[in-house]
Amino acid sequence: MSALDPRAQDGAKPGKKKILVPKVENGHETMVEIEVDDVEGPQWGPRDSMRLVNHELVRVDAVDKVTGRARYTHDVRLPGMLYAKFLGCPIAHAEVTVDLGAAKKVPGVVEARVVREGEVKFVGQPVAVVAAKTREAVEDGLRAIVLGVKPLPFAVTREQSLAANAPEVNRRGNASKPNEDGDPEAVAKAFEGCAAVIEATYEMPTQHHACLETHGAVVDVPTNDAATVYHSTQATYASANEFKGPLKVKEVEVVNEHMGGGFGSKFEAGVEGRVASELARDLKAPIHLMLSRRDEFLCAGNRSGCVQSVKLGGDAQGKLVAMQSSIDRLGGLGGGSHAGLPYIYEVATSARTMRSVYTHLDANRAMRAPGHPQASFGMESAVDELAYALGVDLVEIRKRNVGDVHRRQLDRVAREIGWNEHPHKTKPDLSDATTKVGIGFGLSVWGGGGHPECRVTVEISPDGGVRASVGSQDLGTGVRTYVTAIVAEELGLPMSGVTARIGRTSYGPANASGGSTTSASLAPAVKHAAFNARKAFAEALAKTLKSDASEIVFDVQGVYDARSKRRLAWKDACATLGPAGISAIGEWQANLASNGIHGVQAAKVRVDTRTGELKVLKMVCMQDCGLVLNRTGARSQIFGGMVQALSYALFEQRVVDPDLGIAMNANFEDYKLAASLEIPEMVAILDDEDTRGVIGIAEATVVPGHSAIANAVHNACGVRLRSLPLTSDKLLLGLAGLKKG
Amino acid sequence: MGDPKRSGVDLSRRGFLKSAGGLAAGGALGESALSAANSGLLGDGVERLSGEVEIELTLNGAKRKVKVEPRTTLLSALRERIEPPLSGTKEVCDMGSCGACTVHVDQKPAYACLLLAVDCVGKSITTIEGLAKGDELHPVQKAFCEHDALMCGFCTPGFVMALSACLDAKPEATLDELKEACAGNVCRCGTYPHIFEAAVAAQRAKQGAKR
Repeated sequence: MSALDPRAQDGAKPGKKKILVPKVENGHETMVEIEVDDVEGPQWGPRDSMRLVNHELVRVDAVDKVTGRARYTHDVRLPGMLYAKFLGCPIAHAEVTVDLGAAKKVPGVVEARVVREGEVKFVGQPVAVVAAKTREAVEDGLRAIVLGVKPLPFAVTREQSLAANAPEVNRRGNASKPNEDGDPEAVAKAFEGCAAVIEATYEMPTQHHACLETHGAVVDVPTNDAATVYHSTQATYASANEFKGPLKVKEVEVVNEHMGGGFGSKFEAGVEGRVASELARDLKAPIHLMLSRRDEFLCAGNRSGCVQSVKLGGDAQGKLVAMQSSIDRLGGLGGGSHAGLPYIYEVATSARTMRSVYTHLDANRAMRAPGHPQASFGMESAVDELAYALGVDLVEIRKRNVGDVHRRQLDRVAREIGWNEHPHKTKPDLSDATTKVGIGFGLSVWGGGGHPECRVTVEISPDGGVRASVGSQDLGTGVRTYVTAIVAEELGLPMSGVTARIGRTSYGPANASGGSTTSASLAPAVKHAAFNARKAFAEALAKTLKSDASEIVFDVQGVYDARSKRRLAWKDACATLGPAGISAIGEWQANLASNGIHGVQAAKVRVDTRTGELKVLKMVCMQDCGLVLNRTGARSQIFGGMVQALSYALFEQRVVDPDLGIAMNANFEDYKLAASLEIPEMVAILDDEDTRGVIGIAEATVVPGHSAIANAVHNACGVRLRSLPLTSDKLLLGLAGLKKG
Repeated sequence: MGDPKRSGVDLSRRGFLKSAGGLAAGGALGESALSAANSGLLGDGVERLSGEVEIELTLNGAKRKVKVEPRTTLLSALRERIEPPLSGTKEVCDMGSCGACTVHVDQKPAYACLLLAVDCVGKSITTIEGLAKGDELHPVQKAFCEHDALMCGFCTPGFVMALSACLDAKPEATLDELKEACAGNVCRCGTYPHIFEAAVAAQRAKQGAKR
């Protein structure tokens, strides 16, 4: 992982320094060099001196969310607003014509339009749209559309796409030219000296983001060359530009007060944003176009699947010596993503080939740690298989091939999950018992650093009010809360003394929330703005009090001038300000952020060998997080990653009928998510030995949970399941195979 | 997930009304079929109402008039037809699989997406907006805030309504019963451990208040 350590680079101008920061586009992270001022700025200070930051905070918008007051894009209602929905292509590959005649005559329908005719390449690709006064009339209109569909040959599975007579999915071939890394001959030689070598193929199915709020926008009628768009987006500030073209206006204000999840799928305005804009512009009516749940499953992105073939060898002590891998990414019409092998582990000699195999399914999108859960499943499974082949303890083999932080975390997590007392450390339980308990492990890494894109304004008004504004968004991580806490702490105020305003373009530039970069990009800019506001306030007060700014102290009792030994209540101090009050800008500060996090997760499971029932009993995660801004919120996010990985392990997969080419489970009844009855005992350990600045944690937490669960299943009963989800039928087949020997 | 017993809903009826007219994708309902549906008489002598009718619903203790079609769901009536709308109740799956639209109908939890608005006339409906008594939050709402039992918040109204219905009916409910009470609700952010903590805290607060 080149993304782990930002290092100061040589060649910077005097007073400047060059640093490496991660830049994320659509969730894909690369490192770029930037120049920053090499000067004294705000500091987080020692953690034991913190009053709000790094504490257990109550979300400032929690009451809005528990009372239904929080307004999401889906909830926006504007006068004269029309509802709109898409009609999707019913089959995988077709020539489509659209007859809107009957639809336009349906009572209540205001407009029906073609979105796409001609070649359509996946089920659910929008081909028409209907706008109407009521949701019911939209449904009537959609039903009245007559599609002319000429079926074309399709390939919806990897096998179909790679078959000799396969239909063309991609003009440049159904598989991309393999990307090759390492020297296969050197690896072949290295295998010769190994104490054990394992070979296996591991598969991950396509999974869905399944954001509870579907994609979409409410677009208001443009007036005077400007428009307001309510958009469920991970990029509030940047998405404004995308709407300017289809709306034909110069200024767009994007509003995104609250959003119902994103997980990497909501970076773009998309066809829904474009069509809603065109309708609003042409019909002169606000348009509410949110995808239906079915559309969301079919055309709003997914986590790509993969097939990874692995050969891994080690020495007798469990040191990884040689690895050869070949990886097919399965991203439908997209390229798919995979973090590569040997992923986190150090292998002395390794080589790999990786390519994309294209199918007639919608393109994958970035999804929480793109490519990492896939790589984790391949690597952690292979390491486990090798450990059993060598007879090496499952924790020991990991410790021998990773860095210091992971080693420390492995020890702590092993203790918490009960590994030290566990009787099956080098062999699975092959006894005749009918219920068996096993333990498994998995590791994670992520970058999660920040970069200079946010501009935060902190304003102090003469009436004592404090406002912090930035055009960022909150995907559920608690942005408003930590913005409030940072400013309140700097100014000696309670949480209630500061109002955080986010979710509007006009609140100022902010980065897109991708690659766990929001906190590490935004928090330093907030701190800087608060620091500048405090300094400006101190200078203004020093003039009034005939003191020196350096002698003005802000604390929980108010404002104290050390020179005159005078104390002012906050409100009284603010009243001395002129009518304009204080307004200060903050920008990203490299010294307040850091980069590169590590985590270890373990799972304990129970397998019933009679029924194949798998129950996850306990999951543990230890995560280094840099400076934790809100400890409760951080734990929520860690649990969230663990739960999603648990859900991948037990349930999640897109099912496509290979003969008909259609999606079989594009709804929440058939695409099952883990819920209350599947949740095990969960432990989240914040690694407080990490004293760095702010780092994003969201992605890392979703990386290894399913791998740990699959490994625990093998540890429990000796069945190695090499494809997710870990269903009872697979488990029973595996158990039957064990009996046959 | 969508337990018909729990929500007290006739699934078949709404399923019929919603799907009458064919599949959404590719099904063609021409003009003639539509005009037949609007004619009122289909040859069996039974008059059918169509188009919009005004009904009165009892929502959060107040009588509210709303124009609905026979097929309009309670969820759609709340979110799209009542003025001002009650959009705290969320639409997520629209087929009884996720619990996001849970409301109380005569004190019992029900999925608003599986109820026809016309069937709710004469019943007492409480939505998330009506759960708190003025500024005083329901113990479940309070506990959700204190235990960070929410992230994006889109599933939150449904969870709060499911758990509050359980605790209002059975203040001594155990953790297992509380998990069962929200087993039909889905949280994609994965806040379950904190939801369970909050549910237990709310249960204790309810028990304390009873004494």
